Amino acid sequence: MKLAVLLGLPATILSAVYAATDPHEYREHLHLKPLPGGSLYAGFSFNATTSLGSYDKQHYRYFPRSLAQILHYTHTAELHLRFSLGRWDEETWGSRPRSGLREGGNGVELWAWLESDAERKAEERWSDLVNSLSGLFCASLNFIDSGKTVRPLLSFDPEGSLREYQAMQERVTGRGQGELQLLHGMLPHEVVCTENLTPFLKLLPCKGKAGISSLLDGHKVFDSEWQTMSVDVRPACHASGTSWECQLEIQQTVDMVLNTERSQRPHDDPIPRPKPIEEIKCDASKSYNGEDTCYPVAFEGEQEWTLSKIFGRPLRASCLASGSDTHDVSLAVPSERTVEVISKSTVSHEGDNSTRSYYLPDDTDFDLHLPQQVLASNQQESETASVHASRQITGYGQERGGMHTTLHNPHPWPQDVIYLESLPWFLRPYVHTLSLSAGTIKKTYYTPLLDRQRGTQLELLIELPAESTVELTYDFEKAILRYSEYPPDANRGFDIPAAVIRVLPGNSTLGAPTRENYLRTTSLLLPLPTPDFTKVRQGLAGLKKLLAKSKAGVNAGDESNGKTMQESSSPVKEENGRPKEHKKSR
Amino acid sequence: MSSAKSSPPPEQGSFIWTRRLILFAFWGVVVVLGLPHWLWTTSIHRSQLPLESMNNWADGKVCRLQYPIHVKLRYEDAGFDETNALAAETQHVLNALNQLPLYQFHITGDLANASSEQALLPSHVRDTLASRENSLIVNIQNDKKIKTPQAALKSLIPVLDVRHNPARTGDSLTAFLAREISKVFSHEQNYMHHLLQETPFESKEYVNRFSPEVKAGLDARTTRAFKYASTYHLTFSLFVASSSPSAWNIQQALEDGIYPLIERLSPVNRFTIDTQIQLYASFSPSIAGPQYNPITREWQLQRPDLSGFINAAEWPLSPSIGSGPTINFVLYVPSKHQSPLVLAETGGQSWIVPQWGGVQIFNPADKQVDQLTAEDLRPAMLTFADQLSTLVGLPPSPSSLSLRISGLTRERTTSLILSASSTLGALSRLTLKLTSIAIPDSVAKSVSETIHRLDQACQHMQDGRYLSALENARTAEEEAEKAFFEPSMVGQVYFPEEHKVAVYVPLLGPMAVPLVLSAIKELKKLRERKVKVA
Repeated sequence: MKLAVLLGLPATILSAVYAATDPHEYREHLHLKPLPGGSLYAGFSFNATTSLGSYDKQHYRYFPRSLAQILHYTHTAELHLRFSLGRWDEETWGSRPRSGLREGGNGVELWAWLESDAERKAEERWSDLVNSLSGLFCASLNFIDSGKTVRPLLSFDPEGSLREYQAMQERVTGRGQGELQLLHGMLPHEVVCTENLTPFLKLLPCKGKAGISSLLDGHKVFDSEWQTMSVDVRPACHASGTSWECQLEIQQTVDMVLNTERSQRPHDDPIPRPKPIEEIKCDASKSYNGEDTCYPVAFEGEQEWTLSKIFGRPLRASCLASGSDTHDVSLAVPSERTVEVISKSTVSHEGDNSTRSYYLPDDTDFDLHLPQQVLASNQQESETASVHASRQITGYGQERGGMHTTLHNPHPWPQDVIYLESLPWFLRPYVHTLSLSAGTIKKTYYTPLLDRQRGTQLELLIELPAESTVELTYDFEKAILRYSEYPPDANRGFDIPAAVIRVLPGNSTLGAPTRENYLRTTSLLLPLPTPDFTKVRQGLAGLKKLLAKSKAGVNAGDESNGKTMQESSSPVKEENGRPKEHKKSR
Repeated sequence: MSSAKSSPPPEQGSFIWTRRLILFAFWGVVVVLGLPHWLWTTSIHRSQLPLESMNNWADGKVCRLQYPIHVKLRYEDAGFDETNALAAETQHVLNALNQLPLYQFHITGDLANASSEQALLPSHVRDTLASRENSLIVNIQNDKKIKTPQAALKSLIPVLDVRHNPARTGDSLTAFLAREISKVFSHEQNYMHHLLQETPFESKEYVNRFSPEVKAGLDARTTRAFKYASTYHLTFSLFVASSSPSAWNIQQALEDGIYPLIERLSPVNRFTIDTQIQLYASFSPSIAGPQYNPITREWQLQRPDLSGFINAAEWPLSPSIGSGPTINFVLYVPSKHQSPLVLAETGGQSWIVPQWGGVQIFNPADKQVDQLTAEDLRPAMLTFADQLSTLVGLPPSPSSLSLRISGLTRERTTSLILSASSTLGALSRLTLKLTSIAIPDSVAKSVSETIHRLDQACQHMQDGRYLSALENARTAEEEAEKAFFEPSMVGQVYFPEEHKVAVYVPLLGPMAVPLVLSAIKELKKLRERKVKVA
């Protein structure tokens, strides 16, 4: 429970920030939290706001112009974009940061509420949106076509006050923009990389040159065990007198889990090597034959780490010169843990004996050093996740297969979850085989696939009984693709996007949390019947050879004719000529 | 050498006939079914294009570029007849002057001189009313104090104020008026000639030899200005080397400095405006950076660095979404320790990046300031307005803004007509040269629309309705470009004959070889038999 509070801390700070009414606000925050198993969670969040008036007049201060223009052009009211890599290890690390609200399925995930009066228009704007974002973030978002787009009904709720926003827009522009439509797309195959981080940093006011964003370095971010980047834009309206006042908020987050030992290896010598024997603490309780080897003492207590070593660069001075009234950096460690602050900054807040907060200095670097230490108190236990989920493909052969999802509720209260699958068209589920081992399906929304046009959308509202494991299974058939539809490296398999699981807030009288949270399964690889593409090449190569030979034959014939005319007296030629004549005569 | 072998028994006649029948059936299928099918599937649709009128436009035969200029003469101290006589005389002198062969002057006296209701209106209202119909208004006033006639242009409205002393000058007023009016149009005339040079539209009667300086000036104007577009996106960016100032009162500054100009330009172009603030803007690593000059106590930016000043890799200056080019205006605030920053040699603070935008360095007087007020920004905005007028191609002279804008309208119309005509010519040459290229119906439609619009533009221009001529010329240019860059045609251009051979040979070769060989064999046998019979 405690950990959940800590990890949720950035979110609470955010909500406090949002309460502030000053448009053109900018806040950034870094939350650090050592995790069991020698890992460190680092959650960066950057928030900027702009008033609706400046947004409509297109005057941007901290809100990035490049993104705002896209939103303006495509009439996007709310946007959520995720770039994710790796898997959050729930068993070791506990519940997810930010309640899973700021993470996505492996690869890229995008969902947005678009204003449009017609279905067709919404699709056009969606296509404009993915294409522009694709250019902005250097990602293959433009591959989110109609076949990869779904319109979930239960899984997502808008975070912003969209209704008020629309009313305001209508008043300003004088015309209604039509209904809001939610579209959702996933690209599980996309490899998130530095080229996505650079445009992400460019959207920030300080661009990684000052403030906490100066820690973000592609080498370290993408070397982490789990990493997710998110961009969220939403309108926030609050009543002021009789009317509403709206502003647009952008929140960018980078969350990652770094291995402290691995990240602190020197940049120029990243390969781990055995230490010289003098530096190893030997286990003296064992007997040794020689001096050159020994058993090292088992590692005890907390690992030593330094902020600048972990991220490979120092944290530079605070981003904006005007002093902020919220803490820039917070560190969640027990109060007994020694923390050395290498800076002019002062510890401003000890918190509930487990969180320390720091202001960044205005003109010098900031660093934290935590020495190796054995804590008297026991390891804090990590909060168990609300639901565990895993998903596999079963079966064998090239024709059929099955999907098998395990949902485990570890809590002594029943939970409602919404399970969203968006499957590509070449995976054809047999919905009549859909079965649940325990629990009940309360609602089902199912959109069947259309070949090459639309994928399957399956949304289930499932009740998970207390302390139970529920298995969800269905069978499917694999379609056969056309020659040109195979991607490069088709034998690797086809990526199936992650299933999105939304855990609804439970009954608080039973002790269930009142906040909803999200989790996603890993994405899957589906092997499809793949032709041997080399056959085609071989055929072509054979034909080429044939043509080349026939041409060479013609040329050679010409040449030899010429030669025989010139050197007809040569005896060698005659000798060569004879067997030919012989052959001819036969 | 050859071994004597007994020949096989002669074939039966019916076998020979069966074989011939089979062969004939195969060939029949190929000829009757295969060939038409092949022709049908590979035939390309070529719509009929009006090649003749396209070529006529490209050769400049259709439209004679002539610009009628209506001038109204107002001479308050003279009588009705006298004014008209002066007008007629001046018109005769001007048109005979042969200095401005592209222009046809129509000078009329202001008939609403004394009696009409208009005369009761204040003079600036009358001027505004008159300027809707006329390109230029000449206001003549008697002044007994001066010796020689004097002329001055008003800065916003197209009015030329002339003062002269009737006692001293008798006949030379006409010559003076003609000279002053031709002076107003001389730059435009030069630019038009520059535009028309080496195009089929160039008039043969008038060969102008520009001095190298004039030519360089005209070239610079062409290279600096953007290509004409109906909409320009203006992006005003404040780039700050450190973290402050981080705010500016841009709305007010724009209203003061930029909106008036944009409003005047609105008949010619539309504009969208957006602004942004970017902190921690660093120089591009490719430039040397500013150097400190201890004598002047200034940081100086060297001339070679100016072209690389915009750090395209890091500064988010992506073009705006939507059709039309983006004009960037960058206001750069150097960091405290590199301030003040000026340009070496000239000591100036602003420069134009041709066809991209304008850059200006802003050294705040108060180094601690966090917000720039509209007052701080006023000089910068005036510079930006000046740069904007250069970038949209506004002529540098005459001094009256209204005359410059109407000059711009004529120049833009002319260049659009030239561009559309040459595109039509290129399209016609292309379709004649590449006979295998498909011409979809949409291209034919675009071409006929282009020709129609060009006719309209030409007609309206000769009538002196320049704004609607511009509108038509713009549509014509857009349609011509659309026709020329039709995607289905572009793909076909790169589909050479060798490619076809490479496709057909592997496909048809294996099938054709036995067919052809057996046909040849059969024909040979037929001939042998005929020889035998004979």
